[in-house]
Amino acid sequence: MPFTKYTNLDFDQIKTSIKDYLRANSTFTDFDFEGSNFSILIDTLAYNTYITAFNSNMIVNESFLDSATLRENVVSLAGNIGYLPRSRTASTARISFNVTTTSNSPTLTLKAGLVCSGASVDGNNTSTFNFAIPEDITVNIINGLASFENILIYQGIFLLKQFEYDGSLDQRFILNNSFIDTSTLRVYVKKSSTSGLGIEYYPSEDIFNVNKNSRIYFVNEVQDEKYELKFGDGIIGKKLGDSVGSDGTLINATYITTDGIEGNDASNFSFIGSIEDSNQNVISPGSIIVQTVQSSFNGSNIEPIDSIKYYAPKLYSAQSRAVTSRDYETIIKRIYPDTESVSVVGGQELDPPEFGTVQISIKPKNGSFISDFNKSEILSKLKQFSVSGINQKIVDLKILYVELNSSIYYNFSQTSNPESLKSSVINSIQKYSESDELNRFGGRFKYSKIQQVIDNTDTAITSNITKVTIRRDLQVVINKTSQYELCFGNRFNVKPQGYNIKSTGFKILGEGSTVYITDTPNIQSGNTFLERSASLNTKTGIISLIKFDINGNVVVVSKNAGTVDYEKGEINIETITITETTVPNNVIEIQAFPESNDVVGLRDLYISLNVSRSTINTLRDVIASGDEISGTRFVNDFYTSSYSNGNLIRK
Amino acid sequence: MAIQKISRSFKDISLSFVPHPVTKDLQILKNESAIRRSVRNLVETITTERFFNSLLGSEVRSSLFDFVDFGTSSVIQDQIEVAITNFEDRVDNLKVEVIPRPDDNSFEVSVIYDIVGQDFPTQDFSFLLEATR
Repeated sequence: MPFTKYTNLDFDQIKTSIKDYLRANSTFTDFDFEGSNFSILIDTLAYNTYITAFNSNMIVNESFLDSATLRENVVSLAGNIGYLPRSRTASTARISFNVTTTSNSPTLTLKAGLVCSGASVDGNNTSTFNFAIPEDITVNIINGLASFENILIYQGIFLLKQFEYDGSLDQRFILNNSFIDTSTLRVYVKKSSTSGLGIEYYPSEDIFNVNKNSRIYFVNEVQDEKYELKFGDGIIGKKLGDSVGSDGTLINATYITTDGIEGNDASNFSFIGSIEDSNQNVISPGSIIVQTVQSSFNGSNIEPIDSIKYYAPKLYSAQSRAVTSRDYETIIKRIYPDTESVSVVGGQELDPPEFGTVQISIKPKNGSFISDFNKSEILSKLKQFSVSGINQKIVDLKILYVELNSSIYYNFSQTSNPESLKSSVINSIQKYSESDELNRFGGRFKYSKIQQVIDNTDTAITSNITKVTIRRDLQVVINKTSQYELCFGNRFNVKPQGYNIKSTGFKILGEGSTVYITDTPNIQSGNTFLERSASLNTKTGIISLIKFDINGNVVVVSKNAGTVDYEKGEINIETITITETTVPNNVIEIQAFPESNDVVGLRDLYISLNVSRSTINTLRDVIASGDEISGTRFVNDFYTSSYSNGNLIRK
Repeated sequence: MAIQKISRSFKDISLSFVPHPVTKDLQILKNESAIRRSVRNLVETITTERFFNSLLGSEVRSSLFDFVDFGTSSVIQDQIEVAITNFEDRVDNLKVEVIPRPDDNSFEVSVIYDIVGQDFPTQDFSFLLEATR
């Protein structure tokens, strides 16, 4: 019998195979008995085969990017296709301070290294972090005052590592610290006879514009999240050495090791840095008051294995060129690590079309908006990847909130506390709201899924009737005459009598009372259904402003305040001067009912399931619990409409 | 093709690996000596020693450092009986005698059994169990 089962990874199966072979080919018989000598030999053989098979399996797994599990293997395989995984990123803050000095020196220099410590408060815990700068900062002294304005500080510890190049082929330059932020890495090369740090070398990710005199180095991640420096060989990049024309053999590498995401939100900085005058004498700066321009943010951890596996092939297929929207997604995540999700829309898809532009929306990991400074930084970095003649435009995130109004029927013989049932339903919805299905551009709120989530929360829940509302927050400009356009990207459900669009209150110029937005669909002719010559034109409608008088009656303030396109889900408000809003932060919340209960995040809309603004009611299911079987009490006391309410304004 | 006859006798390999003086082949243990060897192997194997078969063997060794008296003998006897009953199907009418020899710090073990399905006399073999550290 041929011995064919090479691929077994199970010890018992291997052992059985060996026994089967021996049964057919051997004069021995005792291998079936566990106590026999032969059984001991077979066990040893099978164990050896098992270990070999396991090892081969692991080796093959670790040889491919898709199946590798050890970080150093994933990083190495990603390196083969030109991908350098993101290092830990130091949280950065901006500070300003002044130093008063009596020194005659024309300048003062803030030395690279520790600058100040800052505290971040998380609940009742206060953590202190050190902040450093990777390079010296020199400012002029004007009238005895040196102003260090708006300086960028990095959370972490500043370190210096020195290597001496010996010319051997197997020499490696490994920075012996984990948790390095490679963006803070500065590398200098000098001859042993010269003073100072040396001539600066610059990091390079590719070999474009690199020749034999380019002062470049390459950085690679190696074992234990440490980094290795590689220098030129005299053909690609300048070779190190003491020969004529070379820069020397002493390598000085300075860098910052950081706590990554932990260091975010630190402020209240106090100065602990070192300041020198132009003669390199350390001066005592006295008491320095540090002004926080911006608290620390943007710190992130090292790129996880999953992310490397996902982005390495994508970056390879993008070939460092931002052409398709997928390319942008990959490249933006690389140049701005704080990105959670990116939406890229070609200008031709916009309404109206803007040819030659690419509209980018970025959802950062912490918060909803990215600062103007970051926007301009991303755009400038993006330029080197993008196609000539294409303009990129970063627009602010537009959040489309989905709110639920859910009535949950429960069998009260199976639960004693409807309040705890309600809170567990809210927890389930909260969990669903944090899932990837929603929290990304192009996400879709799936109605059937949320109903399942609610039903599956507890066995006591017999059914749920859930109504979906979509909401957008209109950020108004106070006391400025403006026009507003609000896009929901989803078709609205239209009732012919109106009440489809509801808003929170606001005040307008020339009107003392609080006004609200409502709508009236355009009706072609006739008052009753039978008299109408044509069907209702429910594609468009008009926006009106209404208020309530002291008796609670509706008074129309402005009949024609704008238009609504129910099909596109778009609201246009004509020229208006808003003076005040009832919701803080100059926001008017405008809601509508979607025609389809599945809500789509169209183009640059970012879907967010707003659990805190959702309503969850619990109702007794008297039929399921056996209280009554006829259903008469149910339809009278516990009835829930599946349609929207008739309120005129948003509550 | 000739039909190969397979003997119903028990044949096991000898782990001494001493070649046969005449044929220079590996030595073979047959029938009662094969079973005897197997029984000894079971007694001497520590449980969890065998890969993926943690129950095989006996705990005799851990008892050897206890007092050499009849109490410990009874424990060892029990362990040997359990090991052989569970893992050696070829023996029947098993009887184990363990006699303590406190002067030598050892136990004398006699195992008496019949071989199932073969026409052999009742087997009896003895060995000494001694703590060797």
